[in-house]
Amino acid sequence: MEIRDYTQQANIGIKQNSWQNWLKSLVLLGTGLYMLVLLLTGNIGHYVNVANPSIQWLSWLVVPLLLSLGGWSLWRTVKPAPTTIPANQSRLTTTALVICTLPLILGLLPSRPLGADAVNGGVNIAPLGLTSASSGDIAPEDRTVLDWLREFGRLGDPTVLNGETVDVIGFVYRELDMADDQFMVARFTMSCCVADAYAIGLPVIYDGAPDLAEGGWVHIQGTLQVGTFRPGDDPLPIILPTLVEPTEEPDTAYLYS
Amino acid sequence: MTSFASSKTSGPSFGRIFITSAVVIAVVALVLLLALNDPRSPETLLSIFATRFLGILIEALPFLVLGTLVSGLIEAFIRQEDVLRLLPKNRYLATIGGAFMGLIFPVCECGVVPVARRLFTKGLPVSVGVAFLLAAPFMNPIVFASTYIAFGFGPIFIMRFVVTAVVAISVGLLFALNRQPETLLQPSSWQKEVLHTGPRRGLREGLQYTLAIASNEFFEMGRYLYVGCLLAATMQTFVPQEALLAIGNGPVLSVLVMQLLAFILSICSTVDSFFVLAFVNTFTTGSVVSFLSFGPMVDIKSTMMFTGVFRRRTVLYLVLLPFVMNLFAGVLINALGITF
Repeated sequence: MEIRDYTQQANIGIKQNSWQNWLKSLVLLGTGLYMLVLLLTGNIGHYVNVANPSIQWLSWLVVPLLLSLGGWSLWRTVKPAPTTIPANQSRLTTTALVICTLPLILGLLPSRPLGADAVNGGVNIAPLGLTSASSGDIAPEDRTVLDWLREFGRLGDPTVLNGETVDVIGFVYRELDMADDQFMVARFTMSCCVADAYAIGLPVIYDGAPDLAEGGWVHIQGTLQVGTFRPGDDPLPIILPTLVEPTEEPDTAYLYS
Repeated sequence: MTSFASSKTSGPSFGRIFITSAVVIAVVALVLLLALNDPRSPETLLSIFATRFLGILIEALPFLVLGTLVSGLIEAFIRQEDVLRLLPKNRYLATIGGAFMGLIFPVCECGVVPVARRLFTKGLPVSVGVAFLLAAPFMNPIVFASTYIAFGFGPIFIMRFVVTAVVAISVGLLFALNRQPETLLQPSSWQKEVLHTGPRRGLREGLQYTLAIASNEFFEMGRYLYVGCLLAATMQTFVPQEALLAIGNGPVLSVLVMQLLAFILSICSTVDSFFVLAFVNTFTTGSVVSFLSFGPMVDIKSTMMFTGVFRRRTVLYLVLLPFVMNLFAGVLINALGITF
């Protein structure tokens, strides 16, 4: 088979415009600093699952790497050396530089996690079949919305949970086909980043439901009772609350799975 | 395929600029239309879009940076003899080997593209690189581990392995029939001249060179990744995945829907097993396997990055062939009634 050797391609230094080099260094340094700020403020939790150790160390690792790439570029811009970038390196284009400033521009917007507005098409209230989860070991009052859905999936028959006490927080989510006293207490669950995030929830029947703001965070205590929520739904556990109080958005808006 | 050789251009031509601007205008118009018809306010939509875009990007960024650094290291330290020595002489055997190169270069779909591109400039045959490109995002120790944690060593793991290997090697072998890399690759991804081999670089000089290469490569590959994230975030802001899932029953349709979902979501291969766990109860086994084998090969992000390495027609093959083959594999699994 033919093998071509492109290794020592004639070392033609490509003259990049000086301002392009400045922009390149700025974007690299800026992206590195932006990551650092996200990590230090904890806002990175709005975008990726920082509870996952590998995602956490990769996010930290990228900071020194980007800063050294940016620092090196800046050094070479201030003090140009006869660089030997081979000619097969296509030129740094202005388009590429501009595209890569995008996260820095969008990063200027207030950082917000996904909420009720981002639920686009429905909240999953079906039991989850997560095999690795051991939701049965968690005390009922400590279970999150995600733990409950896993528990339903583990047990198969939810009626055995009738009368169990529930203590969860989540945001209020409604759909058009729900009655006035119905809503869901919902959370976004995420395993890696917002690309895989989807909303899950538990149905609630509560007389004071009309007073609750859509998307507002609530703390709910009550008991489970299997019943039919919406016409056509399979019987599923519904929360009958004894307490519903508005609460602050938790530090980690997502439930990590 | 030979017609491409004549149409190679070194700079942007008028036709290319025209097509690019037409596509950009069409996308912007579509997004505006969707935004105007959405009940949510523009501020809300922008905020959701920003969160989704930044989320996908921040998750991919470490892999992009690591990929560009590995690419720089290859450029600085690996010479033709090294590629020659490690590669089987038979191109078909080499292509099969290419599917398992991820065991040496553990990269996901964002990191694999810069690495493959650099290996092409080192003389790696296109067929080997294609098999590597398609298989490596799954065929590496990290993704083996995450798939094992999610599903254990059972039918899903084995089927994911088999389908990925078969599809990647088949597509690679198809490319092995074409012996003219210039008809498949972008001009910047290969070199015409056969060059003499020089001495290996010293460590210090090599590392400086690595930094110089990697800092340019970041933008070269990054622009495709960023545009890919932009498209994925737009799709996710406007197209509800629940709507997609609602139509997804049946042995064929479920596979199609899960492949489409894998393409749109562009979930990193290191974690897609955990994501798809949520669907194992409601979706057919074939569709879950297709999601796991097709997603790492082709998604919005990687398709965009392919266009930086391959000619447009090659990209089309690289998207369609795996799509059709994975669809076939998924439907076959459903037809045979394999469950786990």
